[in-house]
Amino acid sequence: MNTRLYWKNRIPFFLLNVLCMLALSFFLFATGSSPDTVLFIVLVWLLLLLLCTAVSCHLRRKELDRLLHITEQLKRRCLIADVMKQPPRAEDQVYRQILRLSEKSMLEEIAGIERERTAYREYIEQWIHEIKTPITAMRLLCENNRTPFTKELLAQLEKTDRYTEQALYYARSEHTEKDFVVREITLCDVIHQAVTDNKYLLMQNHMTVDVEESGLTVFADEKWLRFILNQLIANAVKYRRDDSVQSASPAIRFHMERRDGTVRLSLSDNGIGIPAGDLPRIFDKGFTGQNGRSRQGSTGLGLYLCRRLCDKLEIGLEAHSPAVSGSGRLPFPDAPNTGTTIILSFYVNHFISQVQE
Amino acid sequence: MPPYKIMIVEDDPLIRSQLQTLLNGNGYVTLTPDPLADIADAVKDRQPHLLLLDIRLPGESGFSLCSKIRTFSGLPIIFVTSCNTDMDELNSILLGGDAFITKPYNTAILLAKINALLKRHYACGQEESLTWQGAVLHPESSRLEYQGRQAELTKNELKILVFLFRHAGRICSRSDLIDHLWDNQLYVDDNALSVNINRIREKLSAIGLDDFIKTRHRQGYTI
Repeated sequence: MNTRLYWKNRIPFFLLNVLCMLALSFFLFATGSSPDTVLFIVLVWLLLLLLCTAVSCHLRRKELDRLLHITEQLKRRCLIADVMKQPPRAEDQVYRQILRLSEKSMLEEIAGIERERTAYREYIEQWIHEIKTPITAMRLLCENNRTPFTKELLAQLEKTDRYTEQALYYARSEHTEKDFVVREITLCDVIHQAVTDNKYLLMQNHMTVDVEESGLTVFADEKWLRFILNQLIANAVKYRRDDSVQSASPAIRFHMERRDGTVRLSLSDNGIGIPAGDLPRIFDKGFTGQNGRSRQGSTGLGLYLCRRLCDKLEIGLEAHSPAVSGSGRLPFPDAPNTGTTIILSFYVNHFISQVQE
Repeated sequence: MPPYKIMIVEDDPLIRSQLQTLLNGNGYVTLTPDPLADIADAVKDRQPHLLLLDIRLPGESGFSLCSKIRTFSGLPIIFVTSCNTDMDELNSILLGGDAFITKPYNTAILLAKINALLKRHYACGQEESLTWQGAVLHPESSRLEYQGRQAELTKNELKILVFLFRHAGRICSRSDLIDHLWDNQLYVDDNALSVNINRIREKLSAIGLDDFIKTRHRQGYTI
């Protein structure tokens, strides 16, 4: 509370007092009191007036500062009207009433928006499930009638499927409940599934895929991990180096290792890499960076979703450019300063491994 | 071993017929009862070796069907669904489903799961082998036998030869072959395929099989 303003607000009250003082002095003089007596009475009056105002200012300030502090501490500040006690003063009660009214109308509005959002999200999820039936039918039709034409179509269907999955996971990543099942999964199997999901895309772009054989297992949700890998593979294809620039064909390399209590899966490509300036921001929502601007079809969503899902699953996610490798040797020895490496690190749960042993 | 019977319970007619084509093409016999009919009875009657069950069906849901069937049969059941929520996945495991596949499924993954489940449930002692013109391929032990002489094959070579043996006498286009290899986790391109084929030819020559794999110009390979 502003003390100066408080005193300023009291000016009419002071003026009234001064007026009363003048009237009293006049009366006392008229009834024959000595000037000393009058001066004494006026001085006592003034002293009491100032003292009372100072004390009430102090008390009021203390009370209001406490309220302000409580409000600042609240997680949902709009609920302060419910938290505060009924104030004794008539004006304050009106203000509290106003606060409560505005809080109520805001909560109603929020509830309405939340309902709409939930309905919309449910519709989106429903829609995605519906659209999967025709996609499945198209895939089967194409796979049963393999011609160069249907292979092109299959690559497009893979893309369609990836975008629908992206929408699904975007809708899901928004709400807080955990909807995943953590189980022990073999990393290699998930990688192979993700590669198969993008088979036609990879084949059409003449990508070389190299998956190191490894029996390492991690605890994670298979679907989510597969989705993350799908996004990363699609990025590696999108930001590949065109063959004319480089003699070697574009490639993706998967490497797994166990290190410092984590299982690290690194996915390296020999693509165009990420400019150092962009690197810290690539997982931000809507960030497309230099690469995204130079190539169309970049939404800034893929890596953002990867990070969201990794955060929920407690998987470490980091990006390096140019490509690096944990084991000390470069993933692409003939092109040392190119490409990108994305590393997913899974924490080895000692408790679970001990129980299993 | 007679061909395995697979029952497809799926309400979308196009997917049903295409699945049928796919499975028939891979050497399975398919049964497609009307999804509105009594599926449990159909399973009792016709004794399929494996059941592909959609969760969302017009009549009874796949889950309740599964628990019904489980009361009298332990046949492998694969749930196929477009809703990949975790509740569904959990339910499918709790109710005794053996696998859970989400649409749009990858046919390679679907076939691999079917194959693995059938093998696990109906494992027969003898080793499967493929024979063509006196050459015998043993996929399980990764060997090729010809007139008493044997060649050890690497994993990649075996995958290529299995495809050629399965399509023996027919021309296999390079792109079909590459397609198949990708489905089997061997990610080769055109050049790598040529290298692999040449290596196989050398091995075959060593056991007296000269010119076993023939190149058809602009068409592909044949044995």
